[in-house]
Amino acid sequence: MTWISKNWTMTGIITGLMVTLKHVLHIGNRPTVTVQYPYERMKLAPRFRGRHAVDEDACIGCGICEVSCPNSTIRIVKYKGRWFPEFNLGMCLFCGLCLDACPMNAIKMDRGYELADYTRESLIYGPDRLLFKKEVNK
Amino acid sequence: METEELLINMGPVHPSTHGVLRFKLRMDGEIIKECTVVMGYLHRGTEKLAEMKTYLQFIPYTDRLDYISAMPNNYAYVKAVEELAGIEVPLRAEYIRVLTVELNRIVNHLVFMGSLLLDLGASTAIMYGFREREKALQLYEMLCGARMTFSYFRIGGVRDDLPDDFMSKLNEFIKDMEKRIEDYKGLINGNEIFMMRMKGIGVISAEEAINYGMTGPSLRGSGVNYDIRKIEPYSIYPDLDFKACVRPECDSYARYMVRIDEMEESLHILRQIADTIPKSEVVATQKYGIAPLTGMPYTAQTYFPRIFIPPAGEAYSRIEAPKGELGFYVVSDGTTKPYRVKIRSPSFCNLTAIPKMVVGLKIPDLIAAFGTIDVVLGDVDR
Amino acid sequence: MMIANAYELIVYILTTIGVYEPINNIFMSFGLDDILKIIIMLVEIAILFAFVLVTIMFLTWMERKVVAMVQSRYGPMVTGPRGLLQPVMDGVKLIGKEDIIPEKADRWIFTLAPFIVFVPALLVFIPLPFGESLIISDLRVGLLYIIAISAISPVAILLAGWASNNKYSLLGAMRAVAQDISYTIPLALAAIAVVLFTSSLSTVDIVNAQAGTWFGIIPKWFIFIQPLGFILFLIASIAEMGRIPFDFQESEQELVAGFFTEYSGMKFAMFFLAEYAHLFAVSGIIVTLFLGGWNGPVIPFIPVQITSLVYFLIKTYAVIFFAMWLRDTVPRVRIDQLLNLGWKIMIPLALLNLLITGFVVTAGVIQ
Repeated sequence: MTWISKNWTMTGIITGLMVTLKHVLHIGNRPTVTVQYPYERMKLAPRFRGRHAVDEDACIGCGICEVSCPNSTIRIVKYKGRWFPEFNLGMCLFCGLCLDACPMNAIKMDRGYELADYTRESLIYGPDRLLFKKEVNK
Repeated sequence: METEELLINMGPVHPSTHGVLRFKLRMDGEIIKECTVVMGYLHRGTEKLAEMKTYLQFIPYTDRLDYISAMPNNYAYVKAVEELAGIEVPLRAEYIRVLTVELNRIVNHLVFMGSLLLDLGASTAIMYGFREREKALQLYEMLCGARMTFSYFRIGGVRDDLPDDFMSKLNEFIKDMEKRIEDYKGLINGNEIFMMRMKGIGVISAEEAINYGMTGPSLRGSGVNYDIRKIEPYSIYPDLDFKACVRPECDSYARYMVRIDEMEESLHILRQIADTIPKSEVVATQKYGIAPLTGMPYTAQTYFPRIFIPPAGEAYSRIEAPKGELGFYVVSDGTTKPYRVKIRSPSFCNLTAIPKMVVGLKIPDLIAAFGTIDVVLGDVDR
Repeated sequence: MMIANAYELIVYILTTIGVYEPINNIFMSFGLDDILKIIIMLVEIAILFAFVLVTIMFLTWMERKVVAMVQSRYGPMVTGPRGLLQPVMDGVKLIGKEDIIPEKADRWIFTLAPFIVFVPALLVFIPLPFGESLIISDLRVGLLYIIAISAISPVAILLAGWASNNKYSLLGAMRAVAQDISYTIPLALAAIAVVLFTSSLSTVDIVNAQAGTWFGIIPKWFIFIQPLGFILFLIASIAEMGRIPFDFQESEQELVAGFFTEYSGMKFAMFFLAEYAHLFAVSGIIVTLFLGGWNGPVIPFIPVQITSLVYFLIKTYAVIFFAMWLRDTVPRVRIDQLLNLGWKIMIPLALLNLLITGFVVTAGVIQ
């Protein structure tokens, strides 16, 4: 309190007010930065790690991803007569170790980030929801 | 007149305890007589988990210790394992590591600044802080695909090389940040009300701070020149030109100012790295442990052996994380999994000094002092 | 013809249209001419009420927009053009909320408190001159009335805090009361310094005293004669409004939400509305006392009632914008620092200001 009586001109507050005023009036490269989320979305980086997808042709069902997963997210299940991984995204750390471990580069994590769901069961992504076919260039 | 001491529980669910932390306060009116910190509400058994995971699998868990700045956690852990196994890291990887860690220091201090001001009731600083943080997080997203839980470091290097346009974006960020720091200084540093709230509050002398095991900016705010990047140089820090920011005032304001200064120093480091980053591999190419099962060459996807067995032994390695000294003690018994991992987290040690700081102050001062210690509860409870 | 207040304005308008005489004759024939007066008064009060409610809704929107602009955000954008209908949606949401009364709370007082807060916030508008002759009632003790009515709200806040039976509520209420009491004094003292010049407590007289200019350039506003008084009044009224940097009654980092922690639904909305009504009223009082009220350059061909209303609103919104702007810039002071500031600095300065003003007025330096 003794201190404030020395600085009663309040220059610091006035400087602060000027900074905020500059933002209000957008002076000097201080634009509005937020986006209207559900209507527009930020662009994702190419390396963004989101929901998994498994290349149907490349996957050999070896189970290395299952072993490499730190959190036991992955289970190898039978689907259409072949073995494919099944991801329980409720447990997934999105660390990308399965992606690194896959010897066939069959796993991708490029399927977005809006993964909220109503039940735990629906967070288990079986091969029916994971598989994709790479387009073959002829 | 009959007076009565009042026992107040602040937390575990309280807006300004930055998570789940509980202060048991013995109050004499508005004055704090005694403060007890009750920790452990966020205990997840990370150290025990480490014993069940392989060395590589534990990296994602280190992200979740100090989730504001995950890169230093990654770094401290892989550095310990590298020391244990005696792995040489290529120079470019070291540069990238220091780059990401220093970027993360800026991110951490931005969040610190914002949340401190939010605790004091000013809502604008956190928005400004998060605006710049968002840019840094986009850099991280470009670099490793995640925004907060990176798991970017690998034993012997980093996961991926820098993307093509990363450096130009980084330079943009640095240029932008220089101006923004001026804004923060104008908005906060000279503010009389801010100074009224911070100066002379939460005083802890240098000796006491050392006794409590405080490290990092909180200790340097007490005038102790203790920066592990300086006193025990690691990685490429000896080649870089920067100074440890020290303030002698020992109060909350000094601890805040140290962090603002550090942001500028980190920017300076980033600028140097952007100029001098060499071209080389980003992962160690030497063969160690057991070779990859597939026998394929080390490419970006398969550089690291899936079964990695370091020799039996132990290693302790520490780095200067944004919050202080972050140490990992790793014991190997010659199997694929660590025998023991002990984490010396800065938040935990710094937090123990709070009861000493706040005796005789009021609850708003406790919040201010607690804000300047800059803890993340994930780091405190592990 | 001089039109003193809104009642006479309505009568004047009706007379000019030519409908007042027949209506009055009808009522006179039944001997009910008092009823007509009451009806007209009810109409003007309804207009005021509607105006205040719309203003409050606009202010909540404006608050969010100003915060957003300061923080490089958009703010509400979805409901209506630029989110202008957001307050309506908020209101709908709040009405739809469950109205919880805590089991241990004092039901009567708990229910009554929001109304006791809200009614004085509206009563303040009665002697507030919105423009030339746009005033409900030009009380001869208007300023005293405003200060006295504002002093009711701490009572209601204390009732709310006490009735909630919650530690945080009670603490918040106590703080609010301590703050209100310690800042009403410099507020009143700064206002009295203005009264010394006008020798009248009537708000209309105060505004009229500020008409005209010095040297043809500087308007004769009291801010130029009373700069210290203005600053003191501004700070004290921000403290009275309970906004950052002085928002102790609801400092969410210390007391969860202050005295309305336990309130929900419409009762919470009442506190909320009262806060913004108070904000508008206090800004209007600042304009009236120091910024020349409705005075401004006369524009030909437009009735002075409209131009003066526009001038008043522009000035008031400028003050409101300043309050919002300040709120977004500064942190909160500590409660003891706040009281120190009030008792040890503001009150002595206000007394000093009063003393100097007294000398100046007695010496007749400024007429």
